[in-house]
Amino acid sequence: MTAVIQATLNGIMMGAMYGLTALGLTLIFGVMKVVNFAHGSLLMVGMFSAYWLIKLTGIHPYLALLIVPPILYFFGYYLQDLVIKPVFRAERQVREPLTVIIVTTGVWYVLDNLALMLFGAEYRTVRTAISNKSFALGSFIVSIPKFSGFVIAVATAVGLALFMRKTKIGMALRATSLDREAANLMGIDQYKVYNIAFGLGTAIAGIAGCVLIPFYYVYPSVGVVFDIRAFIIVVLGGLGSIPGALLGGLVIGLIESVFSQFMASTWTEAIIYAIFLIILFVKPSGFFGNKQDW
Amino acid sequence: MSRKQLDATLMTVAALVAFGLPLVVTSPTYLQILILLFFYAYLTTSWNLVGGFAGVLPLGHSVFVGIGAYTSTILTLQYGVSPWIGMLVGGVLAALVGVVIGLPTFRMRGAYFCLCTIAFAEGIRVMVENIDSLGPLKVNGPRGLLIPLKDPSFWHYQFMSKLPYYYIILVMLLIVLTLTWFISRSKIGYYLAAGGEEPEAAAALGVNVANCKLLSMALSCFFTALAGTFYAQLMLYFYPKGLMGLDLSFEIAFIALIGGRGTIAGPVIGALVLRPLNEFTRIYLSDMLPGLHLVIFGLILILVMLYKPQGLTAPLSAVYDKLARKITREPNAKGVAA
Repeated sequence: MTAVIQATLNGIMMGAMYGLTALGLTLIFGVMKVVNFAHGSLLMVGMFSAYWLIKLTGIHPYLALLIVPPILYFFGYYLQDLVIKPVFRAERQVREPLTVIIVTTGVWYVLDNLALMLFGAEYRTVRTAISNKSFALGSFIVSIPKFSGFVIAVATAVGLALFMRKTKIGMALRATSLDREAANLMGIDQYKVYNIAFGLGTAIAGIAGCVLIPFYYVYPSVGVVFDIRAFIIVVLGGLGSIPGALLGGLVIGLIESVFSQFMASTWTEAIIYAIFLIILFVKPSGFFGNKQDW
Repeated sequence: MSRKQLDATLMTVAALVAFGLPLVVTSPTYLQILILLFFYAYLTTSWNLVGGFAGVLPLGHSVFVGIGAYTSTILTLQYGVSPWIGMLVGGVLAALVGVVIGLPTFRMRGAYFCLCTIAFAEGIRVMVENIDSLGPLKVNGPRGLLIPLKDPSFWHYQFMSKLPYYYIILVMLLIVLTLTWFISRSKIGYYLAAGGEEPEAAAALGVNVANCKLLSMALSCFFTALAGTFYAQLMLYFYPKGLMGLDLSFEIAFIALIGGRGTIAGPVIGALVLRPLNEFTRIYLSDMLPGLHLVIFGLILILVMLYKPQGLTAPLSAVYDKLARKITREPNAKGVAA
C-alpha cells in the first residue's frame, strides 16, 4: 500500500509536468485550431536553453525561469510570424489548414536534428543546488524539484487562465478562438493574435524546460516522449481547455506510475493509448472540450 | 497530334522506361533503391485514397503495413500458407480494422482524426512489442519476425535476385494507380471531394459522406497492408519499431503532401523527389554530421508548404500543359491564345 501511495505522489508530480507541456499545446490549438507537432521540440529548446544557462553561469535553476521563458516567447513569436503565418495566409479560407500541421512537423524535424548536430545524441544532466533534495511527508519521500515543478505547473495554469479572462490580450485570444472572422471584424489582428498565442505556448514550454532540468535529462529527441503524451492529454482534457490540460496531465501521470506498480512499465504505455481511444469513442470532446471543435 | 494522343504516348513511354529500367540498372544496390522508391510511391498512393481524396490526414498508416506483414508472415511460418494468400488475408483484416477506426473518427474534425490515427497506430505498436505470443500465434515482441530462406519460388514469394521484387512492386503500383484514376473519375470520387471540402454542404445535398469515407478508408487500408507483405518478403525480417513506427507513417504523409495530396501523380512525384534525396543525403551526409539529412528534409518540407501548399504536382502539370499546347498547337482550353 505504501508503494502505491508513493507511486501516486510521484505520478501526480510527473503528471503535472505532462500537463504543463500540454498547456502550451492546448493554448495554441484553442486559438489557432492547429495541432502543433513541433511542441515537443519547443520543449527541447526550452530544456537545452535552461541546461546551457545553468551549466555556463551556474545560476539557481529557478532564476532561469526569469530568463528562459521570455527568450522562448520571442522564439515562438517569430517562428510563427516567419514560418507558419505565410501558410495560414495562403490557406485563409480553410478552417483547419492541414498544411500548417505539416509545416509544424517540418519545424520539429529541423529543430530536433539541429540540436543533434550541435549537441550530439548523448543524455545530459546538470547538477543543481536542489537536484537531489527531498523532504519527508509522513512516511513518504517527496523530491523537492518535482514538488516545486508541480507547484509551478499549477501556478502557470492558474496564471494563464486569469490572463485569458482578465486582460485585453487574453480576451482577444479568446475571441479569435471562438470565431476568428467575427474577431477580425471587431478589429482584432488575427495574425498578431496567432503570434502571441504561439509565443505564449512556447514560453510555457520554456517554463516546463526550466522546471524539468533539475531532475530530468535532456537530449535532442526528448520532446517526442512529451509530445505523444501531450497529444493524448489535450484530447483527454478537451482540445483548447486549460483546466483540461492540467487534469489530463495528472490522469496520465497517475496511470503511468500507479499501473507500473502492478505490471511491466512498457505495458502502461499501451494502457494509456487504450484509455485514450476509449475516451475518444465514448466522449470525444474530452473532460472540458468544446463541441464545435471536434 | 491531339492532346489525348500525346498523353497516351507519354504514359506508354513512362511505363516502358519503368519496365525496361532493370536492363540498365543492374547493381543490386541501386535496384533496391528503385524498389523502395516504388514501394513508397505505392504506399503513398494507397494512403492518398483516404488521405488525399477524403480530405482527412491519417498519420498512422504504418499500423496497416504492420497488419499485412504480421498476418502473412505468421500464416507462412506457422501454417505453411503461401504469402500470396496471407497477403490477401492481411489486406482484408486491415480493411476491417480501418472501418472500425473510421466509424467513430470520421465524425470528428481534422485534428482529432489525425491524433486518433497516431494514438491507434502507436497503441498497437506498443502492444505488439509487449506480446510474445497471442494464443497459438507467435508474435515475438520487440524482436520481430525472421523469415527463413526456403527454396526460392513464386509460390513462396522468395527470389534469388532483386528483379522479381522490382516487377511485383511495379505492377502493384500500376494497379493502385489505375484504381485511383477510376475512383477520381467516378461518382464516389466526386462525393469524396465534396465531403472532404465541405462535409455539411455535401451532406445537405444528399451525399452519404460517412459511407464514402469508410469505403475509401477500407480500400486504402487493404492496399497498404499488401505492401506490408511485400516488405516482409523483400527484407525477410521486420520488427515493430521499424515497420510500425511513426516515422514510416509520417514519411508517407510527407511524400503525399510534397507531391500533391488528392492528385493521381502526386504520390509518384513526391516519391521521385523525396526518396532519392532521402537515400543520398543519408549515405553522404549522415557520416559528416548526424541529423543534417533530416534538417534538409524538414527544410524542404517547410519550403514546399510555404511556396506550393498544393504540392509539386500543380506547378508541374501547369508546365506540362503549356508544353503540350505548344506541341499539339491547340488553343488554350479556355479559348484564349496562350
